[in-house]
Order: sequence, then structure tokens, then C-alpha cells
Amino acid sequence: MEIVVLLKQVPSTESLVEIAADGVSIKTDDIKWVMNPYDELAVEEALKIRESGEGQVTILTIGPEKAVEAMRTALAMGADKGVRIDPGDLRLDGLGTAKVLAAALKEMPYDLIIAGHRAVDDDNYQAGPAVAELLGIPNISMVIKQDISDGKIQCHRTVEGGTVVIESPLPALITTQRGLNEPRYASLPGIMKAKKKPVDVKPIADLGLDENALAGKTTIAALTPPPERKGGRVLDGDTAQDKVTALVNALRDEAKAI
Amino acid sequence: MAQLIADRRDIDFVLHEQLNVGELSKHEKFAEFNKKTIDLTISEARNLSIKEILPTRQLGDQEGCRFEGGKVTVPECFHKVWDLFLEGEWLAMPEDPDWGGQGMPRTVSMAAGDYFNGANYAFMMYPGLTHGAAKLVEEFGTPKQKEMFLKNMFTGKWTGTMLLTEPEAGSDVGALNATAVKNDDGTYSISGSKIFISSGEHDLAENIIHPVLARIEGAPAGTKGISLFLVPKIWVNEDGSLAGSNDVVCTGIEEKMGIHANSTCSLTLGGKGQCRGLLLGEENKGMRAMFLMMNEARLLVGMQGLSCASASYLNAVNYARERVQGRNLLQMMDPSTPPVPIIQHPDVRRMLLTMKSYVEGMRSLLYYVGFLGDQIQISDDETEKVRLQGLIDLLIPVCKGYVTDKALEVCSHGIQVYGGYGYIKEYPQEQLLRDCRITMIYEGTNGIQAMDLLGRKLGMNKGKPILDLMAEIQKTIAEAKQVDHLKEHAAKLEAALNKLAETAMHLGATAMSPKVLAAFAFAHPFLEASGDVLMAWMLMWRAVLAAEKLEQGTKKKDTAFYEGQLSSAQFFNSVMLPITIGKMDSILATHPAAVDITEDAFGGK
Ligand SMILES: Cc1cc2nc3c(=O)[nH]c(=O)nc-3n(C[C@H](O)[C@H](O)[C@H](O)COP(=O)(O)OP(=O)(O)OC[C@H]3O[C@@H](n4cnc5c(N)ncnc54)[C@H](O)[C@@H]3O)c2cc1C
Repeated sequence: MEIVVLLKQVPSTESLVEIAADGVSIKTDDIKWVMNPYDELAVEEALKIRESGEGQVTILTIGPEKAVEAMRTALAMGADKGVRIDPGDLRLDGLGTAKVLAAALKEMPYDLIIAGHRAVDDDNYQAGPAVAELLGIPNISMVIKQDISDGKIQCHRTVEGGTVVIESPLPALITTQRGLNEPRYASLPGIMKAKKKPVDVKPIADLGLDENALAGKTTIAALTPPPERKGGRVLDGDTAQDKVTALVNALRDEAKAI
Repeated sequence: MAQLIADRRDIDFVLHEQLNVGELSKHEKFAEFNKKTIDLTISEARNLSIKEILPTRQLGDQEGCRFEGGKVTVPECFHKVWDLFLEGEWLAMPEDPDWGGQGMPRTVSMAAGDYFNGANYAFMMYPGLTHGAAKLVEEFGTPKQKEMFLKNMFTGKWTGTMLLTEPEAGSDVGALNATAVKNDDGTYSISGSKIFISSGEHDLAENIIHPVLARIEGAPAGTKGISLFLVPKIWVNEDGSLAGSNDVVCTGIEEKMGIHANSTCSLTLGGKGQCRGLLLGEENKGMRAMFLMMNEARLLVGMQGLSCASASYLNAVNYARERVQGRNLLQMMDPSTPPVPIIQHPDVRRMLLTMKSYVEGMRSLLYYVGFLGDQIQISDDETEKVRLQGLIDLLIPVCKGYVTDKALEVCSHGIQVYGGYGYIKEYPQEQLLRDCRITMIYEGTNGIQAMDLLGRKLGMNKGKPILDLMAEIQKTIAEAKQVDHLKEHAAKLEAALNKLAETAMHLGATAMSPKVLAAFAFAHPFLEASGDVLMAWMLMWRAVLAAEKLEQGTKKKDTAFYEGQLSSAQFFNSVMLPITIGKMDSILATHPAAVDITEDAFGGK
């Protein structure tokens, strides 16, 4: 079984994010970079599948030299090899990213592709399904459980208030949702082995894509930080009774929560 | 989000900029550990520490260990992190891969340990003692003993302890009474009672291997008659399988000030006459074996202290940035100005910079001593090896005694910065101080460390190690004198160093005169003065490197870090060292008040 994990390096959610001077990107100087948390689930699931059978796990990422760090973490967790597509100066949006990934995948063997359902930086939810579309293979998103047998994959997918069970033939692409598994930590021996595992680097130009077609169809017009949280409010009232009445009124009339 | 436990930038600075540990990988012994692997190792240690181990610190403190019917249970949440720790194979980082270790440079394992210990060192004592006990087997065991025990210990399947202390034998280990009688099959029957045994009984592993100091019947009195035995909780057959209970009974655990989550056990060996042990090393050579392991154990205790201090500092500085209270001193008279974060108040800044400079200086000192050990490993020059070992031996009492003294002070500042909240259990600061306190006592009290420095280490090898150390410090002073921002501070360090040499000569001579008792009443002040000068040195060394980097131009975040290095060095050399000069004046005067006072005059009768 050939499994490919689509992996993205993203700013750690513990980093303080500031908007850069151009107003459409973030300052990256002081950012700590990590593997997208949903991709950790993807790596873990790929390793589990490999452990229960045979095959290998390849990590595919688009990113600058630095992105190798997240890839190494995946290799230290136990993945077998990595491929990094170097985008150079090209700025890719969700669709552009999918096109590049799909082009790279066409040159690789795969039975199953696993991606995070979204990356926590852009929150686009697009790359995974778009790659499946471009490759012409089935896509099952938001998977919290999967089972492979007889060339088919059966998945539990979260939907509002419940789950649906979906089955598809392989090859297929699935995207991960929290609850799928608990990603392992890299072990020390894993870390030592990671550096000997092969990582291929390919410039985007080698994929034979028309760079003009890749250039973002969407552009970021502006970034604004979320509104600062407003201070709390203390309800007035002489007795507990009064305060509860005020609270119920506020919840019903203002917040419309009840 | 603010950093927790230890500042990653600072760890990276010591590893890569101050000590250049990546260079060790040029030698085949450490070839596997290039900079990238080191960085990934530290990242993963940090990841596991913050996500899994840190959440058990407060829980473990609250739940503590429980004793019932001879069995001890550790806090429930420890089982999961224990499994994760073993799965990651973190227990024997610097040890031989043939026995389940990873062959990592000690310096790097210490940096990983910085996170592990800072996350919860009461937990880390279980693997830490296991590691230490296994080292004894590796160093002194027969091939058969290694085969029986080593791998199971380095992988944490079985844990280890250290059984020295008895009610009548604390600081004076030589006074111990546990006895051993040789049996026909070559084993020894052991009997005695040990107290204060860390991790002596627990429910994390199927077996516990106790290295025990005991006296073979008829052996000479004092330390010369002590032998070392391996006493398993459950007897191990020669093929490695487990036999039955070995008559090692836990009779209770202590209620204590801190490290509630680590069991401190009273153990009775051979109460039913059925406890057997295997001699480890030679008869009557137990203390020698102990001494060989002592450096490592004492360095680890220094690390435990540093970890508490480092965690307390990061908490404090983050808290000070957020806690708003009082107006800026310059706008004190204007009631319309808003209150400010307390980090703006000069007195809070004084505390924070005191904490920062100690934590940085201590981290550098401890890693440096680990690094000296790594260099011995890859050197094939015998004189150089002797020089490096001399430096280690000399510095160990400072790494243990001084560092843990100062770590407690840092933890106390860490409470003070929080004000009343620092005293409240909901916040982490009070636990860090409670946990930290024992590091000044076990593994040889700090008083014993001070006597070791004055009585043994100073005069060792005709004083060559201390001269070697001074030569190292002089190198840094010479470099610092070339740097504008550091010149004047370097002159202060030089003056303090010269005075320390004078103080050492004086105290050494006094210790060999009729005033010997007075001299030893100044052993601890001397340890403190030595530690102060070493802190000043380490911070100056850091500042020289930082000044160079600033000159070359740096990124914004790095600029703040490097400027912070200059501040620490300036603060310690110009604000703290003058006090050290005063301490040394006091030592030079060697006033014998403490030894002259009669016991009755202490009053209280
Ligand atoms: C939580 C905890 C865990 C421990 N874990 C272990 C363990 O795992 N294994 C183990 O074997 N032991 C352990 N110990 C024991 C510990 O090492 C001893 O408590 C310590 O060595 C001091 O011995 P003592 O308590 O008998 O104090 P004492 O030796 O009675 O010392 C009391 C005071 O007198 C001073 N003093 C004593 N002798 C001299 C001297 N000659 N000159 C100057 N001053 C002196 C000491 O510095 C100290 O200030 C532990 C203790 C605790 C509290």
C-alpha cells in the first residue's frame, strides 16, 4: 500500500501573529513553525495503516527549505520518505496549491492520499478535495475512523450532529478530523533515523505546469486582526433574585441565547 | 503565547553559540548528532514535556503518592506519561546503544532534561534514579549482571533506586549498619533498614532494582568496610526471568514539603531473613563505586534546581507583563494616569533581572560541565583528559551546592513577583519553591558540598584544576576587554577573580593551621563566592558572543535576546559582584565567632 500524506508547515498557534507592513501577509520573523495539527493526524493514520499491513508512507509538502523541519518531524514519527516542492517566489492560493500537489502526485505511486481537512493558517478547507478532483479520484472528508479491505476504504465522516459511513474504492483521498487518532510523539530512535531518510526536492518548474495558470485566482486584499475581546459586564441587582432576572433578560433579549 | 519551562532561544544559544555542540558530530562517536538532529531532539523533548508531562505537575502534587499494605501507588496520571516516556526511549539518552541507550552527547541530553525536569521533576526522578542505578551496573557489573539487568533498566521495564541513608547514617554514610553475609552460592544475605529512599516502591514497573550499601560481616569500620549490592525487589533468575519476592518491604512513605509525587520510602531488607543481593564490584569497594557515580548524580540535582528556577522565572516574567497594578513611578503624582503592568516597576525589574541572570548563568555552567565530559569522550590526549576531569571534579560541588541554593532564591523571587497570588496553590510558583527545596539537601547537603570544595577539590592535584579554571576565565576576560560595552564590567570580573584566588589561598592555608575550624565555618561562604564568580564568568562569556552578533546585525527577535545577554552580564558583574567582593572580605577576615561561641551561649535552654 502506497500512502502519501499531504503536509503543510504552519505558524504555531502559540506564536503571536502580527500583520506585516504590506497589510496582506504576516510577519514571519518571530514565528515558530510547526506541522499543521490536522496533518499530524494524517501522518499517524498513515503509519497505522502501514503498520497493519505493508507499504510505505511518503510525505509531500510545498514550501521553502524551512518546511523540511515539519517533514523531518513526520519522518521521525516513522514516515519513510519525503518530497518537497519548492515554490520559489510563487504565491499559491488553495486551488494553485492543489494543482501543484496533483501534478506532483501524478508522478508518484499512491493507493491512498491523506490530508488534513484544513490547514490552521489559511483555514481554506480546499487543498484536499481539490487534489482529489484534479486526480479524478474519490474524496471523503472529515474522517474520524477508517477501515481498508479488499481494495476499498470505509470511512466514518462527521456531519452536523452525527456521522455518516461512506465507502469508496481505492485509490482515494481522505481528509482528517479530530478524533481520528492520537498522533504519536517522535521517539528518539525515530529522530535519529529521520535524518537518513531521503527527501527529494523539486522546483515547481520541473512539474511542467503553466506558472501563469498557477498564479492565485484569489488575492488577499487585506488582513485585519480579530476585534479585541470586550470587557465583561457585571449585572446589577440587590439580591440574587434580581441578578438572575437581569441575567435571564440579558440572555433572552440581548444575546438571544435562550 | 509565552514560553513555558525553559526559554528555547536560551537553550539553543548555549548549545550552538556558546558551546558549539554540533561540532562534536565531527567525531565518529557522536557522528549521528549534527545540529539538525540535536534541534529535532530538543523540539520533541519540549513537545512531550509541554503537552504531556507539564499537565501532571500540579495534579501529581495534589494527589501525591499513597501507601497501603506495603504497596505504593503513584498519582494516576503518571502511568500514561511513563508509558510515553519509555516509548520515546528517552530514559538512557547518553548511554551505549548496545544496552538500550542512544549514545547522545551528555550536553544534549541535559538540554532535553531541562524540559523534562522543568515539566515535573518529581516524575522525572523515577526514570532519573533508574538511569543512575543502571549506570552502576554498567560500570561495575559482571558481564552476567549486565546481561541480567542492564537492558531492562535502560528501557525502563525495571526501575532503580539508591539505598544509602539509614537513621544513623545520613551525611556520614560510613556510619551505616546494613549487613551482608556471604552464602554458599555466592549471593549475600542482606539485612537492614533504609530510610528516605526515593522511588523505593511504586506501581510503575514490574520490578525495582535497589543498589544497596551494606557492610559485610567482619569488614573494617567506616567507609573502608562498605560494599555495594544489587538487591532486586523481585529476585531475578540467571536467565533473566522473575522468581519470587526478595523480602524487600516498604514500611511507609514520608509526608513531605515538596515532590509529593515521588515516593520517599522506608525499606526493610531481610526482615524475614530472606533478602538476597549480588555483590556489585569488589568487596569493601562500595564507597569508591559510589564516588565515581557521584559527579553525575550531583550534576543531575543541579539540573533539578535549575529546572525549577527556569520555570519559575518564565512564569514570573510573563505574569509581570500582564499583571496591572500601580502607576508608573514617573507619573505617580498624577491620579489620572492609568495603572501599568508591574514589569515597569524598578523593584520588579530588579527581581526579574536577578532571576534571569542566575537562570542563564546556571544553565551555562551546568551544560558546560556536561560538555567537558563529552570532550573527554572524544579526546585521545591523556593530559587533556586529566585537565578536563580536573575541571569537572572541581566544579561539581558548585553545580550542586551553589546552583541549588540560588535556584531556591530564584523560586522565592518567583513567588514575590506574583505577590499574594504567588503564595496561593492555584498558581504554580509555590509548588516550584517547595519542590526545589530538597535539592539543597539530598545527594550530599550543600554544607557537605562546601566542605568538599574547600577540603578536597581546591588542593586536588596540587591545585592544578583551580589554576586551569582561572586560565579559562582569564580568556573570557581578555576577550571582553576588547568590547566597548563590556570593558568596564570585565575589569570588575578580573578584580573579583584575583580576589577569589587570594581568598582560596588564604582559606586553604587557614584550613591547615590551628584555625581549621574557623576556616570550615567559611566553607559555605567560599562556595557562594566561587559560584558568584562563575556566574559572572558565564554571563560575560555569553555577552562577548552576543556583542559580536549584534555587531554583525541581527533579526529583531534575536536583537532583543542578545541585548538581554549584555544586560545580564552588566547586571551581574556590576551590581552583584561588588557584594561578592564584600563576601570575600568577610572570608578573608575569617572571624571565628561561629566556632568560638559556646554551645550554652546559643541559648534556648
Ligand atoms: C525527599 C528525600 C529524598 C531522599 N532520597 C534519598 C535516596 O533516594 N537515597 C538515599 O540514600 N538517601 C536519600 N535521602 C537522604 C538524604 O540524602 C539525606 O537526608 C541527606 O544526605 C542528609 O542526611 P540527614 O538527613 O541524616 O542529615 P544529617 O546528616 O543529620 O545533617 C543535618 C545537618 O548537619 C550538617 N552536617 C552533618 N554532618 C556534617 C559534617 N560532618 N560537617 C558539617 N556539617 C554536617 C548537614 O549539612 C545538615 O545541615 C533523601 C532525603 C529526602 C528528604
